Amino acid sequence: MYARTGQQSAAFYVLPALLFTAVVFIAPLASVIGQSFWNGQFTTHSYQSVISSTLFQKVFVNTLVISFSSTFVALLFAYPMAYHMAKQTPRRRAFLMMIVLIPFWTSILVKSYALMIILGRNGIINTTIEYFGIPALPLLFNRFGVIVGTIHTLIPFMIFPILNSLLARDPDLGRAAQIMGAGKLRIFLKVTLPLSMPGVAASFLLAAVHTFGFYVTASLLGGRGDLMMANLVDLYTREILDWNMAATIAVLLFILCAVFTLLMGRTRALSTLAG
Amino acid sequence: MKETAASASHSTWITHCANAWAWFGYAFLVLPTLVIIPMSFNSTDELAFPPDSFSLRQYEAFFLKGDWLSSTFLSFKIAIATAVLAVVIGITAAYGLARSSFPGRGAIVLFLLSPMLVPVVVVALGLYLYFATLGFSGSALPIIVGHTLVAIPFVIITASSALRHMERNIESAAMIMGASPFQVFRKVTLPLLRSGIIASALFAFLISFDEVIIAYFVGRAGFSTLPVKMFSTIQWEISPVIAAVATLLTILSTGICILVTIIMDRK
Repeated sequence: MYARTGQQSAAFYVLPALLFTAVVFIAPLASVIGQSFWNGQFTTHSYQSVISSTLFQKVFVNTLVISFSSTFVALLFAYPMAYHMAKQTPRRRAFLMMIVLIPFWTSILVKSYALMIILGRNGIINTTIEYFGIPALPLLFNRFGVIVGTIHTLIPFMIFPILNSLLARDPDLGRAAQIMGAGKLRIFLKVTLPLSMPGVAASFLLAAVHTFGFYVTASLLGGRGDLMMANLVDLYTREILDWNMAATIAVLLFILCAVFTLLMGRTRALSTLAG
Repeated sequence: MKETAASASHSTWITHCANAWAWFGYAFLVLPTLVIIPMSFNSTDELAFPPDSFSLRQYEAFFLKGDWLSSTFLSFKIAIATAVLAVVIGITAAYGLARSSFPGRGAIVLFLLSPMLVPVVVVALGLYLYFATLGFSGSALPIIVGHTLVAIPFVIITASSALRHMERNIESAAMIMGASPFQVFRKVTLPLLRSGIIASALFAFLISFDEVIIAYFVGRAGFSTLPVKMFSTIQWEISPVIAAVATLLTILSTGICILVTIIMDRK
């Protein structure tokens, strides 16, 4: 009886958040969608002109290429790091967790600025290799710079889901395989790796979708040819002052993220987060 | 027998390689930020590493010249307001979700977390268009509201996991002894949640303090937060005063991370 009254009234505690999200999130999203069809009058013309524009096509391809290549390379770091963390004692793992958490919570501007100092023409890498007589390499204001910056941001982001799936597996499985004579490598390939695949897939798609909307990295570490979709939204909003086009590109970016989100059933992964 | 020995040494070799690769990864995560610290004590405006001579010149520029300090104060105000709003809205929502069951609960969780799924630039453009029609120009309110929206999902996730690990019998005991549901929430649940609340407030503060895109889109003239000022400065030149700002920001986020770890450990 008490439990029931409690259960019903507790539901009301969700109301402020629902109201806030509706007013501050849904209404602005609706105004983006509305603006994408509004240019003094109702029109669908902006969609045709965006999709047929060579600038948009190039930026769309940039976004996919930068996102997927960065996510792939970041996974090559994140998996071995998560595996390494999973094998440590809880005390050491807590220390390594700090090493991963601090860059995760560090401002993207700080990280980008640091990489500018390292990768620039007079940066640490080029100064060092020139000292040894090797000609300077173009590392900044190009595709390479954007991808390095993106990877740096993605690695911590990808470690958490993989580490969770590695820690959630039953340690007896590995022990059983060991008793039956399997070597370390064989246990990893036949037991650990397959069991962690759902975590890997979730973290890969989560990171890729996250990257589709990146803005700061491309604008600070990239060159003219490395614009991503978010940069194009900004270009149309602030420089060309064409809200209709800006909104159209924003809607397309939103659809791109939504499609990949539905693809992975990331939605389910998210709802487990809040129980 | 020989074969097993060979494969054993083979797999140790692979283990060593994998560990070395992992350590390379940790170094890649940490070293770039560490490079900034010596740069911030640079006494010239040249960006050579390591600097030829050291001084506090860049910190002097931050504290005394330009309007770095006023941007910093604005960011502090916005971040504190965001933390308060996000915690009040997020904690109550997490409590409601954890202690009730009703049809459509899953959809509501998804709805409340959905600002995480949408690219920030889309939210930023939406708030820009929305507040332009409402006519809220020249105030920090649009930035606070946008940052709160981004921070709420983090608060809900942090608080939900704290609520799940909480001993529920204490709440039931209070209820059986005649406490009203609101009294239970106010006098039992909230005090038990204290460390979770502090942790999520600190993270909400940091999310707001470091956020660039929303502040860049909806902040009007005279309302550039520290990250916005930093972002527009870096676009013009890689000025060394940025190294001082970046060092201070790194100290702030590292401090908050350590604080949260200590608070969560003490529990």
